[in-house]
Amino acid sequence: MLNRKTEKILTNCIIENKENVYRLAYSYVKNKEDALDIVQDSIYKAMDNLELLKNPDAVKSWFYRIVVNTSLDFLRRNKKVQTMEPEMIDVYCPGAEDVYSDIDLKRTLEDLPTKYRSVIVLRYFEDMKISEVAEVLNENTNTIKTRLYQALQLLRVKLKDEASKELM
Amino acid sequence: MVDHLKDLHKEYSEVPIPEQLDLMVNRSLKQSLKERRKKRLKYKWFASVGVAAIVFLIAINTSITVASALSSIPGVERLIKVLTIKEYIVAEENYDANIKVPAVTNMENKELELGLNNKYLSENKALYDKFQAEIEELKKQGGGHLGLDTGYEVKTDNDRIFSIGRYVVETSGSSSEEVTFDTIDKMNQILITLPMLFKDEQYIERISQNIKEQMIAQMKTDPNIVYWIPESGDDELTDMFTSISKDQSFYINNDGKLVIVFNEYDVAPGAMGSVEFVIPTEVIAGDLVSQMYIQ
Repeated sequence: MLNRKTEKILTNCIIENKENVYRLAYSYVKNKEDALDIVQDSIYKAMDNLELLKNPDAVKSWFYRIVVNTSLDFLRRNKKVQTMEPEMIDVYCPGAEDVYSDIDLKRTLEDLPTKYRSVIVLRYFEDMKISEVAEVLNENTNTIKTRLYQALQLLRVKLKDEASKELM
Repeated sequence: MVDHLKDLHKEYSEVPIPEQLDLMVNRSLKQSLKERRKKRLKYKWFASVGVAAIVFLIAINTSITVASALSSIPGVERLIKVLTIKEYIVAEENYDANIKVPAVTNMENKELELGLNNKYLSENKALYDKFQAEIEELKKQGGGHLGLDTGYEVKTDNDRIFSIGRYVVETSGSSSEEVTFDTIDKMNQILITLPMLFKDEQYIERISQNIKEQMIAQMKTDPNIVYWIPESGDDELTDMFTSISKDQSFYINNDGKLVIVFNEYDVAPGAMGSVEFVIPTEVIAGDLVSQMYIQ
């Protein structure tokens, strides 16, 4: 019975946030197919591990965490392949990355190490509270604050001309 | 800086949502929920090391001779009997199964009797084998909990009708229950099927409609009752009940009413268990071949 209830809660959460988690996944992998795969994998993982969700109220950050981790896993796996034979990768999947117009800006976010990227995306783009970001990334709030600050610093370094008074 | 964040945000939120997303999400949800139900490999304990396993395989062959001896007693000749002929029991710390195999005896139509009994036996044997296989699988993965309980219940036994319901309950984390029925016309010694009762296939629509009305009525009177029908205003994430199948599970109760049965999770959340609907005879009166079985 309890199981059914949490299943329902999770299902609703997934449905409500499907577009958000898709964008979140996309922000890591940068192409449609992989982002879709990640969302799909995450749904299965979440359902499969539903028993580990102790507090149903935290379902959103729990599910986001799965999406983030799945994305990071994906990047890690792909990186490995790439370092092995980058030329072959290019041959086999030309244009795996979607073409994007705003290359300058994108690079800046993309060039951030993923741990900084995650906090920026979750805090500013997914509009989560610091505490929620901490939950998603399984870190304490102070770590997140520091990381966010550093992330903004890094971005500022790259976007030298930008004013940075209103940070945080 | 903040402007740039805005730009980045804009870019982020302008990532187009592919149209497959909806479909994919719904499909994954449905599929993963189904898998959860089928096989829950959760609650892994490593404690199963050294668990003393005792497997009883008791075959109580309550012999057919006993049954036929009973039938020779005057006055009970029309009595169709159900006996437990075989019982599989698995009793281990984390795994238990109790499989009761029913057998009908004393039917004049021996072919039907044999057919039913063979079906019961082979279905239960299959369940038992599957259970054993699942245990092996679980043990390989470090252990888990699994339970299986099958049995039967005589729903109706009057002059005309004999209905036997068999249930299978699988437990692993949460449980799922499946029920199947066989209804026998005692006078003619035949197995009654749902389509057989009706002149044409209109009964499907009529019964479905009636069930939906009953569901809505029940949900109105009791907010705790939930059925998965489009009318309930619920989201469309689970399979909605739209219609019964041509040979939906059913039995005929002692009042001669048709009872339609759904397995757990078929039309309602698991908390509701398997659900039954008594169909008022006036709803289907026009479609019935005769009033012989259903009054």
